[in-house]
Amino acid sequence: MSDRWIEAEFEAIFREHYQRIVRVIRRVLQRDSEAEEVCAEVFLRLYRSGPGVAAGGLIGGWLYRTATRASIDAFRADRRRGVEEQVDGSHAEDFTDSPLTLLLRRESIVEVREVLAKLKVEKTQLLLLRHSGLSYKEIAEALQLSVNSVGQKLARAEAEFSALYERQQRQNRKAPQLQAAKEGQ
Amino acid sequence: MKHEVDQGVLRAYLDGELDSERFSAVEQHLHNCSVCSVEVSTLRNHAACVRDGLDRLPGLPDADTSTRVWAAFQKKRDERMDSEQNRWALWQKLSLAGGCLGVAAAALVLTVAPVRAWAENLLAIFRVERFTILEINPAALKTEGLQNNQLLNQTIGRVLSDEITVIQSPQKPQLIANAATASKVAGFPVQLLLGQTPSSLLLESGMGMNMKLDRDRIQSILDEAGRSDLRIPASVDGAIIGVRVPAGVMAFYGNCGDVASRMIGQAGVSAGTKNPSASAEHSVVVHVGGANKSVSEAGVDVSVNQARHANSVNAGETPGQEADATCISLFEIPSPIVSAPQEIDPAQIAQVALQFLGMSANDAANFTQTVDWTSTLVLPVVRGESKYEQVYVKGNEGALLRAANQNQSGHFSLMWVDNGIVFALNGTGDDTAAVNLASQLQ
Repeated sequence: MSDRWIEAEFEAIFREHYQRIVRVIRRVLQRDSEAEEVCAEVFLRLYRSGPGVAAGGLIGGWLYRTATRASIDAFRADRRRGVEEQVDGSHAEDFTDSPLTLLLRRESIVEVREVLAKLKVEKTQLLLLRHSGLSYKEIAEALQLSVNSVGQKLARAEAEFSALYERQQRQNRKAPQLQAAKEGQ
Repeated sequence: MKHEVDQGVLRAYLDGELDSERFSAVEQHLHNCSVCSVEVSTLRNHAACVRDGLDRLPGLPDADTSTRVWAAFQKKRDERMDSEQNRWALWQKLSLAGGCLGVAAAALVLTVAPVRAWAENLLAIFRVERFTILEINPAALKTEGLQNNQLLNQTIGRVLSDEITVIQSPQKPQLIANAATASKVAGFPVQLLLGQTPSSLLLESGMGMNMKLDRDRIQSILDEAGRSDLRIPASVDGAIIGVRVPAGVMAFYGNCGDVASRMIGQAGVSAGTKNPSASAEHSVVVHVGGANKSVSEAGVDVSVNQARHANSVNAGETPGQEADATCISLFEIPSPIVSAPQEIDPAQIAQVALQFLGMSANDAANFTQTVDWTSTLVLPVVRGESKYEQVYVKGNEGALLRAANQNQSGHFSLMWVDNGIVFALNGTGDDTAAVNLASQLQ
């Protein structure tokens, strides 16, 4: 196998996978533009790696693995830099929503991403890929796991996510009540 | 009664991921087993909770933008490739192999970033949780004036010797009887290859050092190296970088020659003293599988510790007995920890180091954004001199390295992090054999 892509072949792969990959990345990252940027870097890496990169598996699996990893890393980097979570205003529905709705939506997005950031990377990848509709076989290929282990790992990741998510929601509900109680004293 | 239906099967059942025969069997089982019925209900609730959470995250609109995006991608890719091509042509005649260049790059990275070279020439930044491979274009590294540049060597040596204080000095490696003793002495659960007895098991002592950063002096290294265009951020001035490397364990299997006995014979550095000569003679060039080319040129081991030993094994540098293809060496160590003042932005410093290693300012900025610098250990590998592959060991991302002139059956170095412990496995065989071997650790 040649170590360089044939342009038409690479374009076909790009067109086939781009939308799905950028969508997974966008779930993790805060802006459309950032998701597109990271997605482009993922495809650039695929291009540089040559067609042999997925010789032992499928290109889709490689892309999902690399994209989820890259997006989680970029998200963590954002958190450290203190980049504020924001709801991208580029979507049509945002113009019709009230500021309160936007605020609540932003808070709930922050909650979910905070929980994802606390999980081990593989667990976050599992949840994202399953939620994106990948079958166990596709997840196993993407994360280089045995198919038989996916159910167990997914169950554990979901249990941990649920516990953290519920705790986070309880805390967030408690905070305003405490504040109100303080102010009432 | 032993349960034939475990949690994973129940989860797959809920997702319709079982074949019809197993699906029916599970369904049958659920009719008669209240424990599993409750478990299924719990699993369903957890899945619903995750769905509820992830549904809140934004997706992208469904409009088909692939033509626009493909055109934008092509443009970006071609620009990127062009700029790399130009640099290749310009610097093609320059070589990365020069020893003093290795030291220069190593010292720079060590000095400007809160990093320390670790066994196998790794750069530890804060705490290692994963590896990322950084391919260095040797042609883009501006090496003119670096090779045999005595002044540069002296500058680096002076900066290192003046600014580094050894807090805990590395001791001679010691032979240990078995894994249980190793775990006890090293303070972490040591893993060994299942069913195989190591021919030697060694404890590598930990080390600790502090380094005070002096911006002007570091800048002088860059200036001397002809890279005055790169500026060290003011925030590094006066910062104290602390490095703690815990004790590690090294196991040898098969015929590794007399490497273990040679390691035991090596001396450490006295504690509490300035390290007077942490420069050229302590530089590390990792050799993979007997190739006399560096896989990663960036590394200085001020502890005169693990890396040199590991290197001698890899390189097959055998003044005494020679190792053969049956030799497997395994090194494991809890992640080194690097502490730095909060004002220091590792990404900003990394950008300077990356540009020094030949990246354009834009590429360096992009790359630093995709890396979590507090937990990612960057392995610089030289394009054309080494091959690398991302692999997974027990679900953990790992890096599999070989010298470029070796085929699949040649020598490999496999590195990964599992549960806070960094592993490096060296042996001979194809990729599958390497990963299988690593999976046998217990």
